[in-house]
Amino acid sequence: MLGANGVGKTTLMSLISGHTFRTGGQILVDGVDPVEHAAVLQRMCFIHEDQRYNDVLTVGQILSVTPSFYPDWSAETADRVVEAFRLPRGTRSKKLSRGQRSALAITISLASRAAYTFLDEPYLGLDASARSIFYDELLREYAEHPRTIILSTHLIDEAADLMEEALILEDGTVAVQTDVDEARRASFLVRCREADVRALVGEREVLTERRLGAILSATVRGQASAEDHAAADRAHLSIEAATLQEFVAAIGIHSLDSHEAGHDRGHDRGHHRTHDSELTS
Amino acid sequence: MTHALPNLRLYLANRTWSVLTPIYILAIMTGITVVITAIIGIATGLPIPDDIRHDMRFNGGAIYCIPGFLISVGALAMNRNFSMALALGSTRRHFWIGTALGFVITSLTLGVGSLVGLGLERLTNHWFIGARAFDVTPLGDGDVVQTFTTTTILALLSLFLGALFGTVFRAFGAVWTTVTAIGLGLLLAGAAALVVASWSEVVTLIGTLGPWLLLNIAAVLALLAAAGSYVVNRLATV
Repeated sequence: MLGANGVGKTTLMSLISGHTFRTGGQILVDGVDPVEHAAVLQRMCFIHEDQRYNDVLTVGQILSVTPSFYPDWSAETADRVVEAFRLPRGTRSKKLSRGQRSALAITISLASRAAYTFLDEPYLGLDASARSIFYDELLREYAEHPRTIILSTHLIDEAADLMEEALILEDGTVAVQTDVDEARRASFLVRCREADVRALVGEREVLTERRLGAILSATVRGQASAEDHAAADRAHLSIEAATLQEFVAAIGIHSLDSHEAGHDRGHDRGHHRTHDSELTS
Repeated sequence: MTHALPNLRLYLANRTWSVLTPIYILAIMTGITVVITAIIGIATGLPIPDDIRHDMRFNGGAIYCIPGFLISVGALAMNRNFSMALALGSTRRHFWIGTALGFVITSLTLGVGSLVGLGLERLTNHWFIGARAFDVTPLGDGDVVQTFTTTTILALLSLFLGALFGTVFRAFGAVWTTVTAIGLGLLLAGAAALVVASWSEVVTLIGTLGPWLLLNIAAVLALLAAAGSYVVNRLATV
């Protein structure tokens, strides 16, 4: 789940998991409204980015009580992740650092093996090596116990390889829902002297431009054809696949009213801002 | 009930906080009572004389020491545990039921604790020096059933009052918590005015029900606070 600060990523996750109440539209999880639906909510785990715990509880006490909420809880995963992050079991929750609170949230989320696991900017406060631990553990858990994991992040390129599908929010609505590979194919990057770039791009839509002296980097909507590559070779231009970050950044600048990457996914969520959502595993 | 039990475990996760500290408070209250009695004994001699021993029957320490801490326990349980429970996939309904079961356990533990205190107090002939912490009029002058019931219901009332405030704070914020506190204060003032205005009937009622009158009122208030916290809890968001 991608989008600028304040577009509604956390709110959407809160709505889906019944933490807040919707004021309109419809939310279905496994075909039912999740609000106060015990059987559905038991299949969810959503530790908020700013999750508040009972101050008097230690990490160990929190981890001793959470298994009772989840029938598929993995003590092995919990122990392994706690060890990897070096979480202090005897420390009270109010004494945890920002990074330790994120590590605790990751531990609970992964060990819960909840069918719908929400991770709300789970990397906050984690340094690069700790984030690497998180990505490794996330992939390991997913490989061993596949389930729906919904991750909100601003570190798009860092997490891009983890994602199968991207939901891009804009102004509280779903701007794009797309397969990540399709999103990557939805634009490409051309880099060279401005005149050469303009000649190759022609009439095609340029999503973003960056200049460094005489060099222009242009993110162009669409896929680069064989002719493009041949022309680029002749003119010594560089053509690269645009990163997901560049695609999302471009969306932040351009309204996606006609060329959404989700166009050929067999549904039109990419084209319509929607207040309805449905989640099934 | 299956879905409520994890919430009960969440409430009991730190037993020092949810169960043992209230017992410690009773023990500290007893210790303070014994120390004060011993200090009095410096002037009167120990054990203290019968007239002072009689006056000590009105020691309300066992009543006063309970509400403060338990109101905070109730408020924190409903406030902090709420967001944890929902994060872990609980419904609001099951969170409330599980936490309320925890309140019952805390209250029954305190009730049993007061009985143990009463038993020890009698066994030691009031802690060897005439000190009275549990064998007192506010707890029924040594009546076992009344001592247990008074302590338990007072604990329940404190916990559910705290739960009501904690839930209102969670659902509506600080302003409405203040409004609720002022509203309850006005209700109590109104009730007090009613008692004064109908004093002769109240005296008759006291004659009929005796010490159980206040207990019944406390039980009704606890039920009202519980119902209020349940209703507001269903509206609370994380």
